[in-house]
Amino acid sequence: MSMSHVDDGMLHAYLDGELAPVDARGVDAHVAQCPDCRRRLDEERALIARATELLALATPPDRQVPPFRAGDVKAPTRVWWRVRLPLAWAATVALALGIGSYLGREAAPAPQAEMATDSAAARARSLARREFRPEARGTVGTPAVAAPGSAAVSPAPGGARADNIARPRPEPVESKAEGERPRELAAKIAAYKAASDERDAWQKGDAISLDSARHVLGGDPVVVPGVPVEAFYLGRGVGYSAVVIVQQALDSSTMIEVINARPGSLLLDQVVVSGAAAVRPDSGRPTESRQLVPKSAPQPLRAAVQASPNLFRDVRGPLSPDSLAALRRRLRPLGP
Amino acid sequence: MPQDLAEIYRTTYRALVRFLYRKVWDAERAEDLAQEAFARAVVHKPDNARGWLFIVAANMARDDARRAARERRHLTLLKAEPQASEPAAADDALHAESERTHVRAALEQLTPRDREVLLLWDSGLSYEEIAAQTGLARGAIGTTLARARRRLVDVYEAGQRGEHVARG
Repeated sequence: MSMSHVDDGMLHAYLDGELAPVDARGVDAHVAQCPDCRRRLDEERALIARATELLALATPPDRQVPPFRAGDVKAPTRVWWRVRLPLAWAATVALALGIGSYLGREAAPAPQAEMATDSAAARARSLARREFRPEARGTVGTPAVAAPGSAAVSPAPGGARADNIARPRPEPVESKAEGERPRELAAKIAAYKAASDERDAWQKGDAISLDSARHVLGGDPVVVPGVPVEAFYLGRGVGYSAVVIVQQALDSSTMIEVINARPGSLLLDQVVVSGAAAVRPDSGRPTESRQLVPKSAPQPLRAAVQASPNLFRDVRGPLSPDSLAALRRRLRPLGP
Repeated sequence: MPQDLAEIYRTTYRALVRFLYRKVWDAERAEDLAQEAFARAVVHKPDNARGWLFIVAANMARDDARRAARERRHLTLLKAEPQASEPAAADDALHAESERTHVRAALEQLTPRDREVLLLWDSGLSYEEIAAQTGLARGAIGTTLARARRRLVDVYEAGQRGEHVARG
């Protein structure tokens, strides 16, 4: 080290205190006896100071660090999707499986009718709209998941509903290649999923009173202060046990909506377990598997609601992202 | 919420905002992105949260830059939030603004990699962390920083001289 000069990179690492002790001692020793490197060391030290100074000029106006509370942090939309997509998938797949296995059981004597799965998938879609979606209104959260299982696999065979599903044309379906059916089914499911995702984002339901809103949320809804509140609506979103949408009028033509959503403690594994149990009604213990749905899921849910009043909040409206972000920062609980 | 993340928030939030600001050049935007990065950290619970935050922030800033031009064309209705700037401070503010612009111009003359390393170092990351994040060898960080610092200062000083010549 004392023979060769110290290169710039090493000098900077040395000055930054990032050189291993043994290397640092080498630089010390070399600089002690090399006036050239001593001069360079001073130059580089000045350079670092100057660069740091310049960078300090390029700082944003100093503001207070906002408090960090998990419920306060604006939950990014992607988190929402991440929670919701698997749920939608699980529900859709459970629904399709339920209908599929039911049909399979019914049609067991006539093997050809098994091919009706295709039209069953189409049924599943319309059935899903009729049965699954209204139930997903999410007052407690679980019905959204319980619905597909129980509706599709209602264990009373030959009932009116079963007729409804099973009747679809025993028409001869030409036999297709083995791999074709699952792929078509998957495409249909995907199409349904995409369509429902579009429509599902915070669907607005009935108008409710402030008192009801408080009751549903277990506290005051947040609003943008100083902006007249037009109305409160019950909303829904998969993964949230309670949703209130507050409509506020920025001016005569601009309406914004503040979303207050209480997350349901609905876990994906609960979804899969309860759905799977309901899918096999002929497993010998139908009563047990049906109890599993209402009992296991809502119980922890209630506890969680009391424990964490953390709400998901968001603002939507016909404004630029910057403006919406500014509004989000202003959100405050609505006073009495 | 994990305790250590709250601690990292306390110690790193400003650095993260500064880091983001030097990429998006909009204080409010930088704060939004920093908040979002922390919100994601809450969800992901990464092992090395500090390094992770800067990686995520850098990615978000890159995505944001693409959107920024488009968004700025839209009317930002509520942009004018109450700001504590007195008229007397207007002159200082103007001066600071002009210096900021010059530093920004100088920073933009650096290669993306040199700039990244410099900004990360200035955010308080160690050589080790910077190496992990940029994929550079740890031994190359000193050299990169030396080059980045020299270029920043040179370009900035050259800009100042140029301006004085033009004025005089």
